[in-house]
Amino acid sequence: MSSLSLRPLLLQLERQPGGLRAQIETAVALHGRPLRWAITAVEQRPHQPALLQIEAVVVCGSDSDRDPS
Amino acid sequence: MATATPLATLLVVPTGIGCAVGGYAGDALPAARLLAAASGCLITHPNVMNGAALYWSDPRIHYVEGSSLDRFAAGEVLLRPVRQQRVGLLLDAGIEPELRHRHLQVADGCRATLGLDIGPVVTTDRPLEVTLSLGASGVSWGQLGQPEALLRAGRQLKAAGATAIAVVARFPDDPGSEALAAYRQGSGVDALAGAEAVISHLLSRELGLPCAHAPALSPLPLDPDLDPRAAGEELGFTFLPCVLVGLSRAPDLVALADSTAISIEAVGAVVAPAGALGGAAVLACAERGIPVIAVDNPCLLDVSADALGLEVLPAASYSEAAGLVLALREGIAPGALRRPLPALKDLA
Repeated sequence: MSSLSLRPLLLQLERQPGGLRAQIETAVALHGRPLRWAITAVEQRPHQPALLQIEAVVVCGSDSDRDPS
Repeated sequence: MATATPLATLLVVPTGIGCAVGGYAGDALPAARLLAAASGCLITHPNVMNGAALYWSDPRIHYVEGSSLDRFAAGEVLLRPVRQQRVGLLLDAGIEPELRHRHLQVADGCRATLGLDIGPVVTTDRPLEVTLSLGASGVSWGQLGQPEALLRAGRQLKAAGATAIAVVARFPDDPGSEALAAYRQGSGVDALAGAEAVISHLLSRELGLPCAHAPALSPLPLDPDLDPRAAGEELGFTFLPCVLVGLSRAPDLVALADSTAISIEAVGAVVAPAGALGGAAVLACAERGIPVIAVDNPCLLDVSADALGLEVLPAASYSEAAGLVLALREGIAPGALRRPLPALKDLA
């Protein structure tokens, strides 16, 4: 039985000032190790920060065969 | 003709988002060749270069798997050009014997006819269980049921001396689907692309080797209305030749700079579809102040420079993008090529 799994994610993220990439990677990393992600939509909202739609795949669990060194 | 030294340029055409140029069987390859000529050094990924049985090898083009390209753009790895890689072949145990044999014959053909160094071959200890899916935006994603089996086989290959890995996973056949019919007629998304990216990303990220993927599929019945952009995938029994050729001279991924390694600091431009600027590599380049050339290349997404607040150089086509790359290479300010040319103003 595999203890490592890949999980698809759909996130909504309110854009904050500063670099976008770090914001997204931090948000995605809350769910697992980011494997692949992209902003797939941006909703502009009056008087509020833009809302980013992020689609991603994360790696969850540990790889039982991984060399611990 | 360029007289200036090469200007390393990144070309990104994201996988599985239905780009009019690059959303099919390596149909961004002509654009890549043009940009390689304009820049003298083009770094791009398998989705751009892979045309199944069709490929192009150019020493100015560096073939870098997507997640490695992201890490390169983030400054986490450098690219060291090599004369030749030893390409290990990783086969999914879920491939039927006859189809497996076809892939082995392609590998042998590439050894005999092209002189590639291929081997060894490792088969996973269980089927990889690939499934296909679409995201909320309609973008192609996909899943892998047995990621550990993939990594075990990859580690075996690395331990046996492979310096790059070509993966062939059995993908689900769906010859009657509307999505496949649309793709073959030039109006759909490549449904396989997302799962392919997941496989190569996982392997490359975990092993630190150049990797690329070819799906194993049963041959399709003849479609007389086949779009030319999808035709490369219907010329043979496998999608493997382009992967073996691409990997055969893919640069090593290295952590430390040496005199031959290319680092992100050397990159002078990134070229991407104007509606797909929200990927890791493009954002990393933009954050470093590398000029982003946003090309009109319709796709499913509308993640534009305006939406993200990015400054870009717009281009109506890859031909125009090549002109902009050449201008940057020659030290010509792109703004000087456009009209109207506003007068200078005092800094307020």
